[in-house]
Amino acid sequence: MNGSLTNQETKRKAFRFVGNYGTIIGLLIMIIVFSVLSPNAFPTVSNLLNVLNNAALSAIIAGGLTAVVIVGDFDMSIAYMASFAGVLVCGLMVKQGLPVWLAIILTILTGALIGLFNGLVVTKLNVVSVIATIGSGSLIYGLNYAYTNGSPVLTGIPKEFNQITLVRIFGKIPVDIIYMLVIVAVLWVILNRTELGQRIKAVGGNATASRLAGINVDKIKIIAYIIAGSCAAVTGILLASVMGSGTSSAGDAYLMTSFAAVYVGSATLKDGEFHIIGTLIGVLITTIGFNGLAILGISSYAQYLFQGFIILGAVALSSVSRRYAKK
Amino acid sequence: MNDGMTISVKGITKTFAGVKALDNVSLDIIAGKVHGLIGANGAGKSTLVKILAGVYQPDSGEISINGEIVSITDPRVASSLGLSFIHQELHLVQHFNVVENLTLGLPKKTKGGLIDWAATAKQLEHVLKIVGFTKSPFVQVMDLSVAEQWLIEIAKAVYQDAKFIAMDEPTAALSQSEVEILFSIVRDLTAHGIGIIYVSHRLDEVIDLCDEITVFKDGLKIMHEETKNLTKEEIITSIAGRKVETMDVFDYTFQNTDVLLRVTDLYDEKKVKGVSFELKKGEVLGLTGLVGSGRTETVMAIFGANRIKKGSLELSGRQYAPKSPGDAVNAGIVIVPEERRVEGLITNQTLNFNINLPTLHILRISKLFPLLSMLKSDKIAQEAISKLQIKSNGVNTQVLNLSGGNQQKVVIGKWLKRRPKLIIMDEPTQGVDVGARFEIYKLIRIMAKEEGTSFLIVSSDIEELPGLCDRVIVMSEGKIAGELSGTQIVKESILRLCYSSQD
Repeated sequence: MNGSLTNQETKRKAFRFVGNYGTIIGLLIMIIVFSVLSPNAFPTVSNLLNVLNNAALSAIIAGGLTAVVIVGDFDMSIAYMASFAGVLVCGLMVKQGLPVWLAIILTILTGALIGLFNGLVVTKLNVVSVIATIGSGSLIYGLNYAYTNGSPVLTGIPKEFNQITLVRIFGKIPVDIIYMLVIVAVLWVILNRTELGQRIKAVGGNATASRLAGINVDKIKIIAYIIAGSCAAVTGILLASVMGSGTSSAGDAYLMTSFAAVYVGSATLKDGEFHIIGTLIGVLITTIGFNGLAILGISSYAQYLFQGFIILGAVALSSVSRRYAKK
Repeated sequence: MNDGMTISVKGITKTFAGVKALDNVSLDIIAGKVHGLIGANGAGKSTLVKILAGVYQPDSGEISINGEIVSITDPRVASSLGLSFIHQELHLVQHFNVVENLTLGLPKKTKGGLIDWAATAKQLEHVLKIVGFTKSPFVQVMDLSVAEQWLIEIAKAVYQDAKFIAMDEPTAALSQSEVEILFSIVRDLTAHGIGIIYVSHRLDEVIDLCDEITVFKDGLKIMHEETKNLTKEEIITSIAGRKVETMDVFDYTFQNTDVLLRVTDLYDEKKVKGVSFELKKGEVLGLTGLVGSGRTETVMAIFGANRIKKGSLELSGRQYAPKSPGDAVNAGIVIVPEERRVEGLITNQTLNFNINLPTLHILRISKLFPLLSMLKSDKIAQEAISKLQIKSNGVNTQVLNLSGGNQQKVVIGKWLKRRPKLIIMDEPTQGVDVGARFEIYKLIRIMAKEEGTSFLIVSSDIEELPGLCDRVIVMSEGKIAGELSGTQIVKESILRLCYSSQD
C-alpha cells in the first residue's frame, strides 16, 4: 500500500513532467510543423547546418550570461560588449596594424576586464547588478563610438581573420559549430564539475550561507562576470569575422535573445534552475523558430512576436506546472 | 460557555513523494479547549494544521465541522469556516501598521469613498484590548517586538470572529514574561469558547497550557490523552518511541589546560562591550544570556563575520584577526549558524551539494586538475548520512525536504571532514526534534573527547546546558555576567546571572 500512487500523485507527476519537458515538446512540435509546412527547405541537412551555424554565436554569449544568472545577478552589458569587441578587434588589426592573433587575444582580454569592472561595481560599490550593468553597457557603447567615431571598420581586414569562420570541417560542417561545442562544453565542465562551479551555484542559491561557509562571495561573483564578458567578446569577434567588418551595433540584438535563451533554458529539464544545457536548448528553440519562419517568408518583425511568445509561453508553462506539481 | 463546536478529522492521509506525512489520522478539536499537538519534526503535526488551513488537500479522509462534512480547498474557505492560523513565521506585512494588517483584505470604514483610518482603528479597539496591546494602532508592525506581533496576529483572528485558532511554535522567540502573557490570553480565549490548537516543541509549556495532547510520530497519531492523565516522561517516551536516555551525568573532570582561543576585551560595533574569556582545547563552552545580550554578536566577531572594534583574539597562542568568515574557516574555526535555512544551507540544492561544499578540494579526480568526481562526492555524502544518522531519501534529496533536525545535521556534517579546531554553534537544537537533539549532543561530546574539538555553543535553552557543557558563560547587556563550571551549571544559577544587570 505504501508505494501505490494516488490520483493526486499521478496528477502531480504529470504536471512536473510537463513543467520539465514542456519546452522540449514545444521544440519537437515546432520542428514537425515547420517540416510539414516547408518540406523541401526546412528538414534538410544544409538547413540544419545553417541553423546550428546561426545558433553557435548566440550560444556562446548566452552561455557566458548563464554563469552570471546562476550566481544570482544580471548582466545587461553583454550585447554592447559583443558589438564593441567586433569593432575593437577589427580596429586593432586595421588601425593599429596588430597581427590577427594578438588582436583577438587583446579583445578577449578587454571582455574579461570589462567583466572585472562589472563585478567590482556590483560587489564593492554595492550597486544592484541590473543598474550597474546598464550603466557599464552605456559606458561600453560610448567607448565603441569613441573608438570608431561611429563609422564601421570595413576595409583592410586581413583575410586570415575572415578565414576563422569560413573553415568547413569535412567540407560541410561550419567551424563555428565546433567553436560553440567546445566553449559550451568548457562552460558545462566549469559549472558542473569544478570547485568554482559549485561555488557559483552556492552563491546563487544562498549568498549568506555561502559566506558563512567560508566562500568569498565577492570573488565568485566577479569571476562569473569575467566569464560573461569574455564570452561576449568571443561572440563579437566571431560575428565580425562572419560579417567581414566591425560594425558598431552588430551585437546589440544579442541581449534579448540571450536572456530569452537562459530563461527558456531554466524551464527546460529543470524546475526553474539555470543551466548550460538548458541555455543551449533555449538558443536552439529561438534559432529554429526564426529559421522556420524565415523559410516560410514571414517578415522579420514577426520574429520578434515569436520570440516574445516563446519567452512568455515557456516560462509560464514551467511555473504553472510547477505550482500544480506542488499541490 | 461554548457552543460546543467541534472539528472532526477522520482517516486523513497525505502523501508527499511516496512518503506518508499523515497516515489515517483521526482526531477531534473541541471549542473552548486547548489541544496540544506534539511530535518530532516531520511527524505530521504541521501537515495536519496546513490541511485544516486549506494549504494542502488530503489524499483521503474527511473533515467535518459539527457533523457536516467540509471541503477546505484554500485558505479563504478555512477562514470563512472560522478557522484561523498563526504560523511560526508570522505572516504580517512588516511595512504596514497594525490597523492595515488587522483589516488586510477586509472592508474598512470609508468616508466619501476614501478610507477613514481613524474610524477603522476605532473598530479595532476592543480586539486590541482583549489581547492587551497598548501601543498606538498606527505603529508599523516592523517596529514591534516579536511578542507584540503575536498579539496582533491573535487580535486579527479574534477580529475575524475565529472559532478556532491554531498557533505554531508561538513561544520560540518570547521571553518568560511574554509567554505568561500569551498563556493568559489563550486561557481567556478558551473561556470565551474559542478552540485553540497549540503546536510546540516545548513540553513544559504544552503540559502547562493544554487540556489535551495528541502525539504524532511518523505520520501516525500514537497517543491522545487528557493532559491531567499524563506525565512528561510518558510524553517523551512516546515521542521518541523508545526509552530516551537522559543525558548521563558525565564526569566533570575536564582537565585539559591548553588554551585554544583567548578572547581579550572584545568590542564590536554595537552589542559586544568588553568580553574576555578563554576556551580550552576539547572543551564544550556554553554561552547563554537573554535575547539581546550579545551572544550571537560575540561569536560572529570571533568568526570574522562582524567587525571587531577593539580587543584581541589569540588562537593557539598566535594572533588571530579574521577579516572574513573565510579567514576563520582557514584558521580552523567553523560555524553552525542560528537560522539554518537562511544562513546554514544552500536551500535550492541537495544534501550532497551542501555536505561537500566546504571541502570541494578533496573531490578532485587528480590533485593537479580541478575536475571533481561525482562518485567521490556521493561517497562522502553517504558517509555523512551514516555517521550522523541523517534520515533522507538518499544523497540527492533536496535539503528543503528534510526535517529540521536532519537539516541541522547537514549543517554540522559539512564541516566534519575539515577537522575543525573549534565549532561555534548558535542555537543548535532550535526547532529540532527530541531524537535528533540527543544525537547532536552525543556527537558534540564524542568529538570533544575523542578528537579534541572545542565547542562554543550559544543557547537559550537552559535545559540543555547542564548536561552538555563543561563550562557556561552567561552574558548580559554585552558583557559577561558570570561563569559556571561543572556542577555549578544549574538552571537557577544560569537564570540568576542572565537577569543580573550590568550597572
